[in-house]
Amino acid sequence: MSSWFDYTINGLIIGNVYALVAVGLALIFGVSRLINFAQGSIYLVGAYIGWVAVMQLHTPLPLTIIVVAAAAALVGLVIERFGLRPLQNSVRIAPLLATIGISFVLDQLVMLTFSPNPRALPSQLPDVRFQLGGGTIGPLDLLIAGVGITSALLLFVFLRYSKLGWAVRAASQDRDAAMQMGVDVNRVNQAVFGIAAALGGVSGMLVGMYYNQIDTAMSLQATLKGVVAEVVGGAGNVPGAVIGSLLLGLVESYGVAVFGTSYRNLFAFLLLVVVLVLRPNGLFASTRQAPPEPLTGTFIAPSRPLRIPRWALAVAAAIFAVLPLFPVSFYVLQTLINAWLLGMLALSLTLVAGTMGQVSLGHAALLAIGAYTSALLSLTLNVPVGLAIVGGGLMSAALGTLLISPSFRLRGHYVSIATLAIGEIVSLVILNWESVTRGPIGISGIPPLTLFGYDLISPSSVYWFSLAVMVVLALLQGRLLTSHLGRSFRAIRDDDIAARAYGLSLNRYKSLAFIFGGFAAGVSGGIAAHLYSYINHETFNTQQSILALTVVILGGLGNVVGAIVGSVALVGLPEVFRIAAEYRILIYGIVLLLLVRFRPQGLLGTI
Amino acid sequence: MTSAPEALLALSNVNTFYGQAQVHFDLSITVARGHIVCLLGGNASGKSTTMKIILGLVKPRSGEVTFDSASLIGLSTPQIVRRGIASVPEARRLFADMSVRENILMGAFVRNDRDAVAQDLDRMLTLFPKLGQRLAQRAGSLSGGEQQMVAMARALMSRPRMIVMDEPTMGLSPLYVDRVLELIRTINQDGVSVFMVEQNASLALEIAHEAYVLQTGKIVLSGPARALKDDPRIRDAYLGGSEAA
Repeated sequence: MSSWFDYTINGLIIGNVYALVAVGLALIFGVSRLINFAQGSIYLVGAYIGWVAVMQLHTPLPLTIIVVAAAAALVGLVIERFGLRPLQNSVRIAPLLATIGISFVLDQLVMLTFSPNPRALPSQLPDVRFQLGGGTIGPLDLLIAGVGITSALLLFVFLRYSKLGWAVRAASQDRDAAMQMGVDVNRVNQAVFGIAAALGGVSGMLVGMYYNQIDTAMSLQATLKGVVAEVVGGAGNVPGAVIGSLLLGLVESYGVAVFGTSYRNLFAFLLLVVVLVLRPNGLFASTRQAPPEPLTGTFIAPSRPLRIPRWALAVAAAIFAVLPLFPVSFYVLQTLINAWLLGMLALSLTLVAGTMGQVSLGHAALLAIGAYTSALLSLTLNVPVGLAIVGGGLMSAALGTLLISPSFRLRGHYVSIATLAIGEIVSLVILNWESVTRGPIGISGIPPLTLFGYDLISPSSVYWFSLAVMVVLALLQGRLLTSHLGRSFRAIRDDDIAARAYGLSLNRYKSLAFIFGGFAAGVSGGIAAHLYSYINHETFNTQQSILALTVVILGGLGNVVGAIVGSVALVGLPEVFRIAAEYRILIYGIVLLLLVRFRPQGLLGTI
Repeated sequence: MTSAPEALLALSNVNTFYGQAQVHFDLSITVARGHIVCLLGGNASGKSTTMKIILGLVKPRSGEVTFDSASLIGLSTPQIVRRGIASVPEARRLFADMSVRENILMGAFVRNDRDAVAQDLDRMLTLFPKLGQRLAQRAGSLSGGEQQMVAMARALMSRPRMIVMDEPTMGLSPLYVDRVLELIRTINQDGVSVFMVEQNASLALEIAHEAYVLQTGKIVLSGPARALKDDPRIRDAYLGGSEAA
């Protein structure tokens, strides 16, 4: 049995690995006030380059490290040059969305190249363990510690003594002033992305060696852990990121020691939420620091929305309503049912992210809450399915709002981080709360859809039911947007300080938006549960959150009709073009990138 | 207007827009070599935007900006700085977490002559003796007046031919205001041209050679500072009553 000493060593080693990711995030945040959600993808790329080097090229370890660092740095430079630099003068949400898109594209490219199956990544180090104090330590532990400390020293020397390092520090404190000293900010960005990517790539390789396994799921986890460590240390604070990482490593390791492995991530995200709520600027923030994201007004692209006449909408609704009366294939109906379900989720997200300006990256959690509530109500309490779905919606509204409420005072990127973490927490609670959720086994045998005693078995009845629910939700939301309440939401999005000065209570309005949005998403999840008849903690994952976000951006933030059009387009077009499932997420990522670059206001415009 | 010696910086017929709103209307300003030129104007008159145009932080929609007879249009801010224009930004904008020494040396970022830079640092310490004891301190911890000294030293470190200053006396105690004006004069006597934006007309006209008055994006008055000081329109607008500092 491992000793506390071993858990401490393990925590510090893992912390070292997180530090390599978090330092890169901190450098990038410092210079461009951007949380690079693609950092984990570079880490993934690093791990696979390491695999190619070790297994195919048979490079010795020192050369492997250099190859991985160089190749990852190159990826970082490409991301900076082609993904982010063109967005320099666009709204602030654009680079954030771009890094999300880039991360999906990179992950999928790795998956398509190497297959999603895990691979072994041997460390090439002798498998011995040295007795030390009350525990043991291996050569790989020493290697990771050595790489961590060496990188920290090199980075320190670079920032303190090189001209480019000075430029990086100056630009991270005052970008405009640095330019007026003759600092070329593009070069600084390049340097920072190159360094961040090199560190991230090496980190991925080391983790792969540490567990002797690499797989494509590493990417999102690494981004999340890196972001947690960076925010704990204070966004943009490089030494803070190192300390935050070590702290995170220790918290996780001790958490695992006490509660078991499946609680590891739960501790990480709880730490994040606690820090975000109590000290959103991080544990080591200096007092002079301005509150994060002061300018929300520029966060979302302003535009003139496309007005679609009511009769056109009515005609479109009527056409879709009578569609099952014609001889259309089951396949078409099935696709459209998926579109309607995604449409409800998109309605929810477009309200929260578009109208209210809270860009949620954990929206799938609302689906999960609705789905589990509805499934369990109908299975264990024999509640009629129709009522159970409403129950799911209400539970999502209540629980979702409650969970998000601690982060109501956050803005911009921080909301995205918090929602991402909350989404993960929900999924981890579902995984670990076995007495209620049946844990990793999931819930099977969920009764099919019924309404007032009638079974909705035929595809057309399910189709009509989901279409009707979505249309009702859309009409309600449209009404909401034109009301006083909708105006208040937009006022808070555009300038929350001014809105507050006019007497609007941020907490109340944000709650209302999440309650309404939570209900729509919960209903969607509930219907899905009865449709699938089996759900588990992975049914509603981050990919769905990102898909919903892409839909919302495609349709135009805050745009109700846009959300539905976006859903039909993103669910339907891959079917029309018969794109194989494994390429779809790649396509979504590319769509997101193209939208951000060329039409940030979406097809129908921001409302 | 008197016939100025030779134009170092010239803005001619500059029109600037922020979205739909026009900020500058056919703006033309000349800074003669070796002169101190002051741009006066109230809030929202377009003063700070003029600074941003010169530094390339904002691009005009039409018009020409030349420095030493070469156009600055299309150049990036770092390129413009390398041409010999240094800036003392509004509210000083020091690198708060870097030391005073690092801040001053950042001013020499465009230079590669290490030894000369070290000499210039010493020169700054004779020009701003107070900073000598503060070199290792975080720049953010200095008082406003001291920060202004650092900002000016930082600007001089690039050995500029011209310094542009955005409201150098803003928020300073009367003691420091006099000191700053004195230093601007000294800097100018060392051969550096100065273009400054000021709200405090009476002070600015004390040290300027020429001045321009900007009102909602248009130059409404210009000429030698001495003449303007006695101009009744200036007196009414800026120097009248209790407004005079």
